[in-house]
Amino acid sequence: MEIKTTGVAGTLESSDIQIMISKGSNGIELDLDSEVKKAYGDQITKVITETLQKFGLENAKVKATDKGALDCVIKARTLAAAQRATETSDEPELEVL
Amino acid sequence: MDQVVDLYLNEPATRKRWESFLSKLDLHNFSEREIKVIDHTLGLLDEDGKLVGTGSIAGNVLKYIGVCNEGVTAGARFNKIVTALQQYLFNERIFHSFVYTKLKYSSSFQHLGFTELAHTDQAAFLESGTPNVEDYLAELPKIADQANKKVAGIVMNANPFTLGHRHLVEVASQKNDLVYVFVVATDRSLFNSQERLQLVKQGLRDLPNVVVTSSADYMVSSATFPAYFLKSPEDLIKTQTTIDARVFKQVIAPKLSITSRFLGEEPKSYTTNLYNETLKQELEPAIAVKIIPRLQVNSEVVTATQVRQEIKTGNLEAIKSFVPGSTFEFIKENLAELQRRIKEGMNINGN
Repeated sequence: MEIKTTGVAGTLESSDIQIMISKGSNGIELDLDSEVKKAYGDQITKVITETLQKFGLENAKVKATDKGALDCVIKARTLAAAQRATETSDEPELEVL
Repeated sequence: MDQVVDLYLNEPATRKRWESFLSKLDLHNFSEREIKVIDHTLGLLDEDGKLVGTGSIAGNVLKYIGVCNEGVTAGARFNKIVTALQQYLFNERIFHSFVYTKLKYSSSFQHLGFTELAHTDQAAFLESGTPNVEDYLAELPKIADQANKKVAGIVMNANPFTLGHRHLVEVASQKNDLVYVFVVATDRSLFNSQERLQLVKQGLRDLPNVVVTSSADYMVSSATFPAYFLKSPEDLIKTQTTIDARVFKQVIAPKLSITSRFLGEEPKSYTTNLYNETLKQELEPAIAVKIIPRLQVNSEVVTATQVRQEIKTGNLEAIKSFVPGSTFEFIKENLAELQRRIKEGMNINGN
């Protein structure tokens, strides 16, 4: 899967997460910003990385600004951002979730 | 539940309501100069339809952000309005944004994923999104073992590129292993950014240790300076130049191993002279500031201002001894277009 543009999904409001995906060349490079990073940083990183891998993205720059989102939200936002970045939003790959 | 709505400031009633809301939050500069660059304004209304928050977009800069936190969780409204502004930018396919804010609000923006590039005791300058300053610096050409080489930086508007600019770069190029020439990206000059960049590149093509690149939004970018929270013009210049100098010192120079910055001596422009003074104060001793006297041709100081004046009157002969061949050819070919821009109101007396 090829990234064609920058894709964003999610908000900066409480219980949400904002994911921005843009072109990268060095695997999945994740920059995570979260108030609960100490406790849940590893888990959030895992959910985002796994979702992107299932979707078929190997190289991407990902900026995530977390406001305490649950895993299901993180997955959904990551998928939406990935589909926007690859311009495939009209064929949602919901099995990734 | 608060609701995000569009505010149209050209409606007098809306404008009045918006100004009175921001005045209560201690934002007072509503000069036309600041307002007319705004592309879009959003408002946040509470259940009774009362204005409780607002924010605006000018290009890729967030401006005039204010919220009332009375009776709600601190931060909730702020996060909502910033999200809505970013959503607006994303729809415009702008994924990289800036904010200039009072220092005390810097941490609020950092909680929303903004990165602070520099601050003074009054103002802070932050960016968000991609490509960010790290990406910008990573893209620039480098040489082997750069950390142990002598590297210099020059920032110029070059409107247009003259022999004076070339002289400054030549001096730097002789004294250094590598020179970065950053051409101002902000598009407010007679020669547009693309033309200026192209003419600088052509005029320096024969100097192998010179890298010419755009200054992007990071050096002398007036677009990113909303001055509404500062009182007087001199304060404004002081803060802007201090932030600019600190971004250069703390973010740009270390990554490129730049240890000196070359400037042209500035006897004429008040603003540029202040800028040079600030650079000296801020950059030294970590980065040496070298001020080079202006080049003289036939005992006349070469300035781009003079060249622009001659373009206005169409006196090509007078330009010839001031600019390199590439710039001269460009002016000759595009004289009518340049004169049209001047006629349409482009200011040629500034920078």
